[in-house]
Amino acid sequence: MREKPVNHAGAAVAFIADKPHLDFHDARLWDMRQKRDAQMHLLPEWQDLRSRASAIKEHALANLADYLEEFERNAKSNGIHVHWAADGAEHNRIVAEILEARGARTLIKSKSMVTEECDLRPYLAARGVTVTENDLGERIQQLDDQMPSHIVVPSVHKLTSDVARIFARSYGTDPNADDPHQLAEAQRLAARPVILHADAGMTGGNFFVAETGTFVVCTNEGNADLSATVPGVHIATIGIERVVPRMADLGVFIRLLSRSALGSPITQYTSHFRGPQDGSEMHVVLVDNGRSARLGMADFWTSLKCIRCGACMNTCPVYRRSGGLSYGAVYSGPIGAIIDPTFNERKYSTLPYASTMNGSCTNVCPVKINIHEQLYKWRQVLVEHHQMPFVKREIMHMAGKLMGQPRLYRAAINGTETALGTLPRFALYNWLNPWGKNRELPAPVKETFHSWYRRNRPTAGKATPETVKTETKA
Amino acid sequence: MSARDSILATLRRNSPPPAAHPLPDPAVLGEADASPERFSASLLQMGGTMLDRQQGETLDQAIALRFPKPGLMICSLVPEATGTVRIEDLPTPQSAEPVDVTIVRAAFGIAETGSIFLSEAQLHLNAIAHLTQHMVVLLDPAQITANMHTAYLRPEFHTARYGVLMSGPSATADIQGVLIRGAQGVRSLAVCFMPQ
Repeated sequence: MREKPVNHAGAAVAFIADKPHLDFHDARLWDMRQKRDAQMHLLPEWQDLRSRASAIKEHALANLADYLEEFERNAKSNGIHVHWAADGAEHNRIVAEILEARGARTLIKSKSMVTEECDLRPYLAARGVTVTENDLGERIQQLDDQMPSHIVVPSVHKLTSDVARIFARSYGTDPNADDPHQLAEAQRLAARPVILHADAGMTGGNFFVAETGTFVVCTNEGNADLSATVPGVHIATIGIERVVPRMADLGVFIRLLSRSALGSPITQYTSHFRGPQDGSEMHVVLVDNGRSARLGMADFWTSLKCIRCGACMNTCPVYRRSGGLSYGAVYSGPIGAIIDPTFNERKYSTLPYASTMNGSCTNVCPVKINIHEQLYKWRQVLVEHHQMPFVKREIMHMAGKLMGQPRLYRAAINGTETALGTLPRFALYNWLNPWGKNRELPAPVKETFHSWYRRNRPTAGKATPETVKTETKA
Repeated sequence: MSARDSILATLRRNSPPPAAHPLPDPAVLGEADASPERFSASLLQMGGTMLDRQQGETLDQAIALRFPKPGLMICSLVPEATGTVRIEDLPTPQSAEPVDVTIVRAAFGIAETGSIFLSEAQLHLNAIAHLTQHMVVLLDPAQITANMHTAYLRPEFHTARYGVLMSGPSATADIQGVLIRGAQGVRSLAVCFMPQ
């Protein structure tokens, strides 16, 4: 069955209507962006780090099969069980089999975007396994039955009062609690016994190292290390693109990751798993789920460099004012808009349009993914594949005709300026002008540049390169 | 064909030309200052604290001053402090749950980030680092490395099965952006400079 395209613009309208949430969301993410900038300015080598991170990732991707084999060899020799999953369904089956073979009925789990991709929780729930998320933001989202709205801060679209309401329902805390400390403490106290009695633990992985067979988990709350070290079984789900060749390469990425994400020099925990402890088990599930196909897309393969810091989301004016849930996808924001269509081109065909093309995402990306150029490329692909909505397609046809004929264009522009200056609001802001929803139209100018030029250069006629040059000098 | 073989085959078929993407040499960039002063400043920024001993004060006395509440369960993993419980008496992660304070010696520290490195060699029971309420970390100032690049040249990353860089206490800002030190792991982390 063909799925309907996500109505991003429609969902954004609802998000914008709620001013307290919108204002907090916008300000919080912009604050993260500014803290990132402050960290960047402290390091004179910042641009060098970005270039190196990009080069290392491109090299690793161009040799991915070899590095995966090297990782597998080393991890296995250290006692790690390595599994391969072609897609989400295979990943879920592997995890369920590991749990079933050990009679595990409870799984304590830290945040992992790949398991969101695979939709692991409902699969395990249907097989009688209780999955408890223990990252605070992810737990809030689990209890509220929502996807994470941001890849680093999953519940950033919620206010304290929302969390108080959710925790009151699930943890029996005060529904009017207004102190985040009190609510975070409630999560700590609720999670501890679940962690202590869990049959197995699960984490994601930010990086893995071919040279040593190590995987690395970067977190702040301590919940991932609890999930990994307390139960006797640790399963880590990792996307195949997260490999780096050498241990020495990690320095570049660890220095960039948390500075780009939150504006802190490093995450509170940077944990390196190279093998199981005596008497316990360690499993790594390497997940493809479309990545090997994406590697073959000439315009889009570099999106696999992504280290999931979320900097592009924090800086994006569209993301900040529409919220992650409006994207209707596991990955939201600019990075989501360029990778989601590889999962389902029709369903996510609207997302590459959720951008002003300002290029800020590209500028902040720590691994130099040309995100805004890929957004543009996706629009071309979607038009070629007829994945463009009818109204937008017709408007583009009209705009193309208009802009292809200078006389017609100038007449239209003059008409527009007159209309902006004289027409009443109801004639300008209505259903014929979707752009004008939630936005003010630009103030009309007194005169277009073209008519000014004609008035001031009545005899010059058409400007030649020579006359332009002379004027610049003068 | 197995998932493994089909993934590898697709990757080999779809791979960009490897010759166009050479691997840069490993980099050692950034500030080379490996001083205890830089380490302390970074640790404070990450929400950690320094445990300074007064003249003639023993480590036990300094810890008792920092944690004055009577009856605390203190687990010492170092010969420099006594504590109230030995790690040998905590055979499982579950048995480490009631520990209030754990005293451990880090293998090394990182001046850039105020991080300390712990592995099974120091912890014996890895979970104690996360179940304990508070942690006191002994660090030999001679074992401070300048930054993340120099840190990853240390041999511990090639030998430890579990190696964690802890940079201050656990923290979260998941509720309305309010930074909370002491999330789900240790509530506080104090470093005491002490040559080995």
